[in-house]
Amino acid sequence: MSRPTSNWLRGSIVRKSVLPSSAQSTRSSTPALGLNGANVSTIGSSTPLPASSSTFTGVSAGGGVKDPTNKISEFSSQEDQCPVCKSDRYLNPRLRLLVSACYHKMCESCIDRLFTLGPAPCPICNRTLRKLAFMPQTFEDLTVEKEVAVRRRLARDFNKRREDFPDLKSYNDYLEEVEDITFNLINDIDVPQSEERILKFRRENAALIEANIQRDESYASSLRQQEEAERRAREERARVLALEEEEQRRTKEMDKMELIDVLENSAEDVDAKKLVAAAARRQREKEREKRAAAQQAEAANALSARAQRSRTAAQSAIPDAPHVPIQDDWYAYEDKYALRAGGYFDPASEAVRRDREGIMRAGGYMVEEAWERALRCAVAGLDIAPLTSSAVSTSDPIPLPTNGDVIMASV
Amino acid sequence: MVTMAVPTRTSEADDGRGSSRRPMYEGSTQYRHWRYSIQQLRDLRASLNKAAVSVIRNAFEVDLTGSSAGVSFLTPDEELLLVKLYIGKVGQLCGHFRFPEEVEATAISYLKRFYLKNTVMDWHPKNVMLTTLFLATKTTNNPISLESYTTHIPKTTPSDVLDLEFLVAQSLNFEFKIWHAHRALWGIYLDIQNLPDISLEKLQETYQIAVKHVRTSRLTDAELVYTPSQVALAAFSMASPDFAAAWAQSKGAESILSIVKDIEEMISRDGAGPDVERVRDVDRRLRLCKNPEKVVGSKAYLAKKAEQETKEKEKRAKKAGETKRAMESGDPFGEELDSQNGRDGSSLDEDDDD
Repeated sequence: MSRPTSNWLRGSIVRKSVLPSSAQSTRSSTPALGLNGANVSTIGSSTPLPASSSTFTGVSAGGGVKDPTNKISEFSSQEDQCPVCKSDRYLNPRLRLLVSACYHKMCESCIDRLFTLGPAPCPICNRTLRKLAFMPQTFEDLTVEKEVAVRRRLARDFNKRREDFPDLKSYNDYLEEVEDITFNLINDIDVPQSEERILKFRRENAALIEANIQRDESYASSLRQQEEAERRAREERARVLALEEEEQRRTKEMDKMELIDVLENSAEDVDAKKLVAAAARRQREKEREKRAAAQQAEAANALSARAQRSRTAAQSAIPDAPHVPIQDDWYAYEDKYALRAGGYFDPASEAVRRDREGIMRAGGYMVEEAWERALRCAVAGLDIAPLTSSAVSTSDPIPLPTNGDVIMASV
Repeated sequence: MVTMAVPTRTSEADDGRGSSRRPMYEGSTQYRHWRYSIQQLRDLRASLNKAAVSVIRNAFEVDLTGSSAGVSFLTPDEELLLVKLYIGKVGQLCGHFRFPEEVEATAISYLKRFYLKNTVMDWHPKNVMLTTLFLATKTTNNPISLESYTTHIPKTTPSDVLDLEFLVAQSLNFEFKIWHAHRALWGIYLDIQNLPDISLEKLQETYQIAVKHVRTSRLTDAELVYTPSQVALAAFSMASPDFAAAWAQSKGAESILSIVKDIEEMISRDGAGPDVERVRDVDRRLRLCKNPEKVVGSKAYLAKKAEQETKEKEKRAKKAGETKRAMESGDPFGEELDSQNGRDGSSLDEDDDD
């Protein structure tokens, strides 16, 4: 048996884009609808969902996860083994396991064998299954697979937002209810009751759900349009650039030819070197002009970009509260002293002032500030007369402990 | 506040400031909480001494009835003498450690302020002095590790310094900022250079002498009565009355020269270190009249401990009961604070230390 050296042989996750042929081949054998298994089996006869028609084209292999970008890959590993027929990768290198609506794995050949003649019971849990309801595995853990499916299904109906509620409390109650239903469905607790609750919710909020779906879609389409426009602009720029380059190349060629022509036809006495130099000069001038033009264009571009940026900034900016400087009513004796501009004779600060490398001033020490502090200290409270009263309490607002001992937790 | 109404300025006319602006010094804790008249200081020390003596006498009686009869307790002046001795020791230690002058001055101020709230008979100044110096290194941003501090002082353990630290900080009311006279003196020295006809050599000489006088002033109560600028000017005036008078005139503050005279007198009267023989005698007597509640192992000490413990036990029981009630009434976090306040607001402030 010849084995292709594909990625899945190494047990790694296989990207669909790497193996387009296998994806194509499997689609023919198990044509999967965009609707995933959980939807089909649990909703049963409910009205068809609007997303069903579009997802068919979106997901290449009818995947468990809806992914129009094809970035999510199908899970497969070296140790894969079909639990029904026990065939594994060694026996069948093209083994592909799909997941049923009851979250059991089976290989494609078993699915073909069991379900080609219509609905049949699952060989593991006896639940009735259909061939169409098998889906590829995305996550290694099947409980995650189930949770994702349940959540995606619920998100389609329970798409209310914070704006749809009068207050935070009711919104939180709603979220709580959704989480409750989700938990029940994932863990198979009270499934009929939960389904009943979903149906009830859908009946009550049909109009709102529809409106929210439309809102989401319009938002998505606007995003798509924006992306498309950006892509087009990029392509256009690349095209213009290529054109310019071609043009440049052509003019260079022409100049060269011209120069050769002139050299050929010129009279004997004209110096060839001079001719070449003149041509080179002309060439340089042209290039300079071109560069200037390019710079101008670039500047204009940058300007418009900046303008756009500032516009968006203006939209999102919150105006600052007006700055209020510290305002206190302390009087710092400013009128009582004046710092001398030329400095002072002061041996005490000699070392700091002579410190050329500024090692002592590195922390922000300024001898002027030290001087100013000393001056302020020299005039502060100069005119305050000492107390003369004899009553202790007037000058001491701190009550003294009666036994002359400061109360303390422990010594 | 009451203190705001007290000051009577000698020169109210010459200051051109707006009435709404408060001078910075008058906002300081030094001005608001640590400013006394000479009489107040005397009264305060006397009342502290009296209270301490009565407490200690009671404690002696608890220890052994009738044992307090023969004890001669210290007088306020004797207490002050002992404190003065240890103020001198701070200077020696600072010289040993090469601490800046700011540390020395701060530690001395702390020591003086501490003994305006406590008495020598309760807390011996030796340990308090070590603690205030260590505290001052920290509050003036000249930190030193406790190990290197205690290893350089003989017969001192880290616990000697740390045991009292909180008590000292609490006694200081956590007001660590001090306005120092030596800084004001430096300011005067700088500002005086603005005066015409000043000989720099003579000024330098005068300054060196004045610095010594400021150091002497730390042994006195000057900083508790007068502002640092006044003390500095007095020190300057002692070194050179002419310079000081000229500078005061240039500041329009001739009127304070009379105050300066008082300070000069105080410095030259109280500035001398205490007589060693007298201090030794006081210390010997102090050993006999120390508060026994502070002596580990004595009966009074044990009695005080037991009393504290019963108090705490009561408090704990009360708290547990309250918690239990709250749990039973449904809300484990108790009722609204307001209603609790109304019920027994007096007990609330005692609950924060355990």
